[in-house]
Amino acid sequence: MKEEQGDKHTKRYGMVIDLDKCTGCGACMVACYAENNVPFKKNETDKLDSLNWIRIFQLTNGRSYPDTEICYLPMPCQHCDGIGKHGHPPCVSVCPAIATDYDYSTGVVSQIPTRCFGCRYCMAACPYHARKFNWWDPVWPADTEKYLNPNVSARMRGVVEKCTFCFHRYQQARDKAYLEGRDEIYESEYQPACAQACPTNAITFGDLNNPDHAVYKLKNSPRAFRLLERLHTNPKVYYLSSKSWVRRAGDNYLENESRPESNRQKIHHK
Amino acid sequence: MNTNDQQHPVSDTASPETGDAPEKRKNGSGWIILLFFVIGFIGSLLGGWLVFPELLYSEKQQPIDFDHELHMAQVYEGCQSCHYFRKDGSFSGIPDLYSCSGCHQYPMGTNPEEEKFIEQYVRPNKEVPWLVYSKQPDCVFFSHAAHVKGADMECRTCHGNMAQSNHSRPYQENRLTGYSRDIWGYNIARLGKPKYGLRMKMNDCADCHERETGHKGACFQCHQ
Amino acid sequence: MKIDRRSFISLGVGVVAGTTLSPVPWKLMDDISIWTQNWPWTPAPKGGADSYKTSVCTLCPGGCGIQVRKIMDRAVKIDGLPEHPINQGKLCPLGLSGLQFLYGPSRVKSPMKRTGKRGEGKWQEISWDEAISAVTKKLKELREKDKPHSVAWVSGADKGTIPQLIGRFLTAYGSPNFIRPPSVHDAYELSAYLMQGQEGSVAFDIENSDHVLSFGTGMLQGWGSPVRMLNIYGEKRDSKKIVQIESRLSDTAAKADQWVPIKPGTEGALALGIAHVMIKESLYKKSFINKSAFGFEDWTDDNGTRHIGFKTLVLKDYDPEIVAEITSVPKSTIEKLARRFARANRPIAISGRGEGLLPGSLDECMAVHALNALVGNINKPGGVSVTSEPDYAKWPEVNIDKTASRGMQQPRIDGAGGSKYPNARYLLHRLPEVINDTKGESPVQALFVSEANPLYTLPDTKATKAAFDRIPFLVSFSSFMDETALYSDYILPNHIYLERYEDVPKPAGMVQPVIGLAKPVVKPVYNTRHVGDVVLQMAKSLGSFIEKAFPWKDYRAYLKTVFKDHWDQLEDKGFTEVKASEDKPWANRFNTATGKFEFYPSARKHPSKKDKDKDILPGFSPVPIEGKPDAYPLVLMPYDSIRLTSGNIGNPPFMTKTIDDTVLKDQTMFVEINPKTARKMGFFEGDRAVVTTPKGRAEVRLHLFDGIEPGVIAMPKGFGHTAYSKYLAGKGANFNSLIGPITDPMSGLNTAWGIRAKIVTA
Repeated sequence: MKEEQGDKHTKRYGMVIDLDKCTGCGACMVACYAENNVPFKKNETDKLDSLNWIRIFQLTNGRSYPDTEICYLPMPCQHCDGIGKHGHPPCVSVCPAIATDYDYSTGVVSQIPTRCFGCRYCMAACPYHARKFNWWDPVWPADTEKYLNPNVSARMRGVVEKCTFCFHRYQQARDKAYLEGRDEIYESEYQPACAQACPTNAITFGDLNNPDHAVYKLKNSPRAFRLLERLHTNPKVYYLSSKSWVRRAGDNYLENESRPESNRQKIHHK
Repeated sequence: MNTNDQQHPVSDTASPETGDAPEKRKNGSGWIILLFFVIGFIGSLLGGWLVFPELLYSEKQQPIDFDHELHMAQVYEGCQSCHYFRKDGSFSGIPDLYSCSGCHQYPMGTNPEEEKFIEQYVRPNKEVPWLVYSKQPDCVFFSHAAHVKGADMECRTCHGNMAQSNHSRPYQENRLTGYSRDIWGYNIARLGKPKYGLRMKMNDCADCHERETGHKGACFQCHQ
Repeated sequence: MKIDRRSFISLGVGVVAGTTLSPVPWKLMDDISIWTQNWPWTPAPKGGADSYKTSVCTLCPGGCGIQVRKIMDRAVKIDGLPEHPINQGKLCPLGLSGLQFLYGPSRVKSPMKRTGKRGEGKWQEISWDEAISAVTKKLKELREKDKPHSVAWVSGADKGTIPQLIGRFLTAYGSPNFIRPPSVHDAYELSAYLMQGQEGSVAFDIENSDHVLSFGTGMLQGWGSPVRMLNIYGEKRDSKKIVQIESRLSDTAAKADQWVPIKPGTEGALALGIAHVMIKESLYKKSFINKSAFGFEDWTDDNGTRHIGFKTLVLKDYDPEIVAEITSVPKSTIEKLARRFARANRPIAISGRGEGLLPGSLDECMAVHALNALVGNINKPGGVSVTSEPDYAKWPEVNIDKTASRGMQQPRIDGAGGSKYPNARYLLHRLPEVINDTKGESPVQALFVSEANPLYTLPDTKATKAAFDRIPFLVSFSSFMDETALYSDYILPNHIYLERYEDVPKPAGMVQPVIGLAKPVVKPVYNTRHVGDVVLQMAKSLGSFIEKAFPWKDYRAYLKTVFKDHWDQLEDKGFTEVKASEDKPWANRFNTATGKFEFYPSARKHPSKKDKDKDILPGFSPVPIEGKPDAYPLVLMPYDSIRLTSGNIGNPPFMTKTIDDTVLKDQTMFVEINPKTARKMGFFEGDRAVVTTPKGRAEVRLHLFDGIEPGVIAMPKGFGHTAYSKYLAGKGANFNSLIGPITDPMSGLNTAWGIRAKIVTA
């Protein structure tokens, strides 16, 4: 661990997604495709080979009409800190090519497609299905190649890709700060495309270490939970829900399985 | 090791009846084998070290022979007069035709290169296909702001003394990758001081970062 | 000395050893890896200076402000415009996909003339001059035959300067047949006209209301201005209660505070049941009813005839017990709904199904509107108001000749405004029926279609196609190869919104009179032309008085004259607020015969002329649906998804990519069915089946969904395209091919919300 967590200059960028607000409109997904040069093909219905950096899942409480409830859950890369915040997310630990790493200064888990040779260990290791494999070379039909964003490299066949928290926007914000002689970048300067687009403001993004950022407070909300917390992946994506069945589903507990309440504390003490 | 390798097959094929065959070899053919080895060894060493680098790169000339020194004398803000930072902090790099034709709509002097520039590019409104010595692959993110503004580095530290050059030097293009020879460096073993500015392979960045900041940095620091 | 095989082996070993110690393998390994990381077919988008251009999105009538990020001359991203009052920097998935329309595979790249059979897709590219002269030749010919009224123009909107330019062109030419596709706002506006006497667009101040009672309105699925609604939901969620009455657990129902499942088609009865409880328990706003309402109590007219009022009708016929029977909503729930609605500070009730492409029953709309009157929330903040159209587009009168004036006096082909449907303005859904029922020559001799795709969006696709087959001259102005364009004789492709100027009128449902201006953010990518300019050029080519009616150089010049004082702000900021000259949105003023809010709308004329009180008052009669229950045991309903466009704009590839694999799998769409119904019929999740209705059949898969009433099945609208590109065509089935229109006898509006159906194993 190179820099202490909690250090004023060390950032831990994270996201808080309010599931009570999310209507499942899909704006985050489309904003992400457009921002990150995610390609499309004729048939995108096989979700195992469909490239998505953020995908909306539909949860249901499993009760029959008319007591049914549904809840939408957008799932980007969770940018796990790993146990004890030592920078060992499940994917980083298994990559034989150092194509993915943990950035200690921001907490962002990177993915360098040009370095990746496509073994897909990381995909097997990721409990969130956040990583996607390019089974084909992308094709941009007609003149659609013209809308590609020069700040994000297009990927090729045979590599893994995933959400980067729009890290290029962080870089752009930093460039601007350098030019203006600032050390810090503003909260509003670095927002991923999904958070920017979300029409219900369900997605909040910022530095989890910075008390001035909105996410700092939100993550401590009594409605807050993280996905599969008992795996100790220590994700930086928090979810908010006022419904207990949603929070329970977030930890993926089976029916009749009790939830060890002390789990969360244990992680924090480590 | 090599001798061993060679003798094994021989002993395998030699029949027990012709037991004196190995001795015969010792008498004369051993030298020849060694000679051939040396020829192959020295030849490929020479080829690899001297001929290969010349074959690997093709030489191209810039579309216009550019005189940096001449221009530096005309502008007020040094390099940044033409290679400037945009308001959003991004770096403009090589000026586009629009910037150049601000001055060069009509010839300002009698330089034949300027004439050529106006004739071939300004009039038909065609961008100049400059060959960029420091061009990096698309996956590389390089922040000029971080280095020039953040770390107060000078242009020449990496790009060499471009400001005082009078001619555009030939662009040596790697036949396989298409990138400039400047990236790997002119010395194929990457030894000694680089000829122009700095070498620009990923390791060069990492080494410098380790030296200056204490660590090589994370992937996303320089990749997009 | 003998050179033998061994010498050469030695030479080889030497070469290998020497090469290993030379830079060759190491340098090549490095270069090869770089080479393989940068295939020439993987694009490396060119960088450069970036800039942001502001404009307005016109992909739906929502009117959101956008900023388009450009790198040099290419547009690379569309984001919401932060300072825009409608969307406040946010955007919906359709707006975010905008560049796929600009550069995408379904664009028409030049004017085209059909060379094969209709719909075959064989085209010849022609010049703009050829295209315009071909069209005007036909128009001249019809005028010479004294049949200018046989020309009809289907325009996607009727507000804004382009539709008005088209309308003016038709007037000058001599045709009354300007037709706009239907929308739920037809019913809102008609209700407001009948009950309030006010003409204009109906605004719902949901921002300031604290209790929203929605009768099936897809508030979070594209109704009104979609991003405005989502924004309100996200920002003001804590300050309002949302109650959704709907037979399917839609996205809106799922996000509401309360979901009230109801038997489909009985929403009007529930509204009246709620009214009953409010009146009976004296929960209505007496100050408003006593002072500003007419027809609530029984009354006697000038002839001394006694009439019953709304109160008597509701108390007599809509007891919660009866209503519970009709709607399957329990009596206690009806009572609770009524009490909560009545006790809220600023309650609002809204009718309409899904995103609002179906006008629906006028009675239902009026019954729901009556609830707003009962709480006195008319023309008030947090309530319903009518805002008259801003009158910025003033025109000099058109001087027309005899031919044109004769043409203008002909009745409209769709029957709107005629003796049968005096209150209707446009009835596009009736057009196929009228054409198909006419013997001999089709009443429509030339049809122009702009910003609309009737061959896809009209109910009963088969009948629509048959009607189109009888129209001898079809011209599409579509930017995309949609179904109607594919079936046309000529395509005169319009610029898309990112390439053209266009004013964007106040979005439906908004209170603030925000006018936007769409501006070209990039140069036209293909050989297209602004439809406004084409109309001007057609007028010029027709000459004489028609030409004189259009004294502008081009569309932009005309637009500038229209906006005069507002132009600079529009150009600069992209939007402005234009109020109608005498507009007081909260003024409690009704323009009805009595000057009051009329529960008993005296302007309402019943076609039977009997004018029975019950027919005039908002009442409930089950909205009929097609099909016999014994042959078709299930009820098929459409649903709107915000990830799937169902109007004239085909779904862009990005949005199709977001669709779940329980909605579409490969090329087959899913129909939702309650697990109980499925079990009874022996179906399991994902089973292939055939849905048959009296109008058509479709091969589907079944998705078992607990959120739908047993006995009802639902399918999304927006699939089943046959045109556009391979990224959309051939996926799923078009709901419109499975349903026919049902014309409301009173208003003429289409009320067909569903159809009976059966499913069998494929």
